[in-house]
Amino acid sequence: MLLIKLATKSLLNRKASALLTLFTIAISVMLLMSIERVRVDAKSSFSNTISGTDLIVGARTGDIQLLLSSVFRIGHANNGVSWKSYQYISEQRGVKWAIPMSLGDSHKGLAVLGTNKDYFEHYRFAKKQPLSFSQGHEFNHLFEVVLGAEVANTLGYQLGDEVVIAHGMGNTSFHNHDDNPFKVVGILKPTGTPVDKTLHIPLAAIDAIHGGHAHQHEAAQADANDHDHDHDHDHDHDQHDDVDLVGTPKQITAFLLGFDSPLYTLQVRRNINQYKDEALLAIMPGVTLRELWEMLSIVEKILLLFSIVVVLISLLGMLTSLLSSLNQRRRELAILRSVGARPWHIFTLISVESLLITGLGCIVGIALFYALMLLGADYLQSHAGISLNIALLSSYELMLLAAIMVAGFIVGLIPATRAYFYSLADGMSIKI
Amino acid sequence: MITLENVLFKWHAKQPEPTINITKLDIDQGEHVFLHGPSGCGKSTLLSLLAGVTVPTQGNIQLLGKAINQLSNSKRDRFRADHIGYIFQNFNLLPYLSPIENVTLGCQFSKQRQKNALKNSAAIAAEASRLLTALGLNDALQHQAVAQLSIGQQQRVAAARAFIGSPEIIIADEPTSALDTQNRQAFVKLLFEQANAANSTLIFVSHDETLQTLFTRSISLVELQGGTDATH
Repeated sequence: MLLIKLATKSLLNRKASALLTLFTIAISVMLLMSIERVRVDAKSSFSNTISGTDLIVGARTGDIQLLLSSVFRIGHANNGVSWKSYQYISEQRGVKWAIPMSLGDSHKGLAVLGTNKDYFEHYRFAKKQPLSFSQGHEFNHLFEVVLGAEVANTLGYQLGDEVVIAHGMGNTSFHNHDDNPFKVVGILKPTGTPVDKTLHIPLAAIDAIHGGHAHQHEAAQADANDHDHDHDHDHDHDQHDDVDLVGTPKQITAFLLGFDSPLYTLQVRRNINQYKDEALLAIMPGVTLRELWEMLSIVEKILLLFSIVVVLISLLGMLTSLLSSLNQRRRELAILRSVGARPWHIFTLISVESLLITGLGCIVGIALFYALMLLGADYLQSHAGISLNIALLSSYELMLLAAIMVAGFIVGLIPATRAYFYSLADGMSIKI
Repeated sequence: MITLENVLFKWHAKQPEPTINITKLDIDQGEHVFLHGPSGCGKSTLLSLLAGVTVPTQGNIQLLGKAINQLSNSKRDRFRADHIGYIFQNFNLLPYLSPIENVTLGCQFSKQRQKNALKNSAAIAAEASRLLTALGLNDALQHQAVAQLSIGQQQRVAAARAFIGSPEIIIADEPTSALDTQNRQAFVKLLFEQANAANSTLIFVSHDETLQTLFTRSISLVELQGGTDATH
């Protein structure tokens, strides 16, 4: 107790350098904790991107490429899946639902996804959470669009606005089809996944933008249903409650499958991968997500390495400041010796100081870390899709802190040992 | 009480002349001894030996009937904490402790001195305050920051620290060298008062021979060195 009191008072007496050292450690702790928290949460956000889907099926490419193009809207799928194959596979035994996905078009750089209504019903993210609407409802007509949360947010769209979809990716597309405006009928709640950055339109509408014969198609549909014939451009959709939103496109980019029981997954996957009529690939999203994360783990490891180096540098800073103060404190040590302090008391005193600095540094670092998390959570959510978990420290993080404390203690042993020998050698004869 | 016999001390083995070479020195309980000599004659080394911080290369040092050169390092540390009060030349105080805390530090490493201190006062801090008052530091000064005290006041705090818990031996290493002449005499008299009150042996080192007359016994280290018998 006495030594802790002495160490505290001695440190307070050297406030400036002690505080500086403390802050260096605090900042490094904050950095390490933040990087680790973002890393862990990025990993979970990442694996939360899609769930509840048993298989993703696309043209034969690499597993990761298919995952990237279908779920993350990154890169292009070179080939598609023929509509015939889609229909065949989706009618297989055990298939509970199939969601066709047609990608490749964009609106102001954001992906446009052509799909069916099952998407809103069966698509799951994170821990099997369904999509839900913050406003409006799913599309019921050909030229209606449902926006992801971020699309609505960044572009400032509201229900009832008209949106023009371009052919191809990118902001400046040569094929702007001004004649095909889509009406915003729904806005999804944020999910922290690429869904937020997606515009969802009926699959049949994709054909409409490309071929421009959607109206014929819809008209044909209308014919078939024996509804009133209206070939007018400003078609009145309200009368078509069961209008075909899927149509019969030649091909789609990929499709998602859900089974009645997960037991079907492996068998259907094998069947698809050996499908004779077309070269197809079926992946299990969870497995491929993990593979993808493994690929990214080198970046993750480098980040971790950097933050560990920063912590080490801060501890070396503490070492420097303790060592350089030691020479000026030989007098203090001699006084302590004169009142009966043993060399190990001196040793403990200096060790306690380094522990106090490291400990307080950790505490301040944690405070800074939480402040940073609170400030940065919204930004990361909206810009990187990483939902930060502002929870108590995990056991892993506590372990990191313990490791820092141990490292601080070990570093502190160096000046402590030095002080120990000073106090043996100097005895009472130190004259400063 | 304090006995040195054939004490030789060399800082390192190849040193041609020993730093300390004392055939015989006896000091009785309660004596006030003035130890003088020019600088470089080995005063500080002798004090380190008497305080048990260093041990002689040869010979025996007995303090209170104990051969402290035969004690282990930690036992010598404990012995010093229990029985010896030490006053440095200057910069005696820890700057981050108040005068009271500096004084109580004197018995913080010794149960025995705490016990002794509690014989005089109800609490250790009260005893520290009592000693400081006796040495002429009023209440206000007792709680001031050490850096705001004059050198003379600091030395009195150091004296109080040496005296708290009534150790048998007080060693003062040129405690007055930073004081002016008037203050020197006053300080020495205060030391005597306290030493008498606790029946402590006082070993006072100085090169200022004007103080010599105040002491009952004076020892020249130069004469003591090299084998002169200084028994009285």
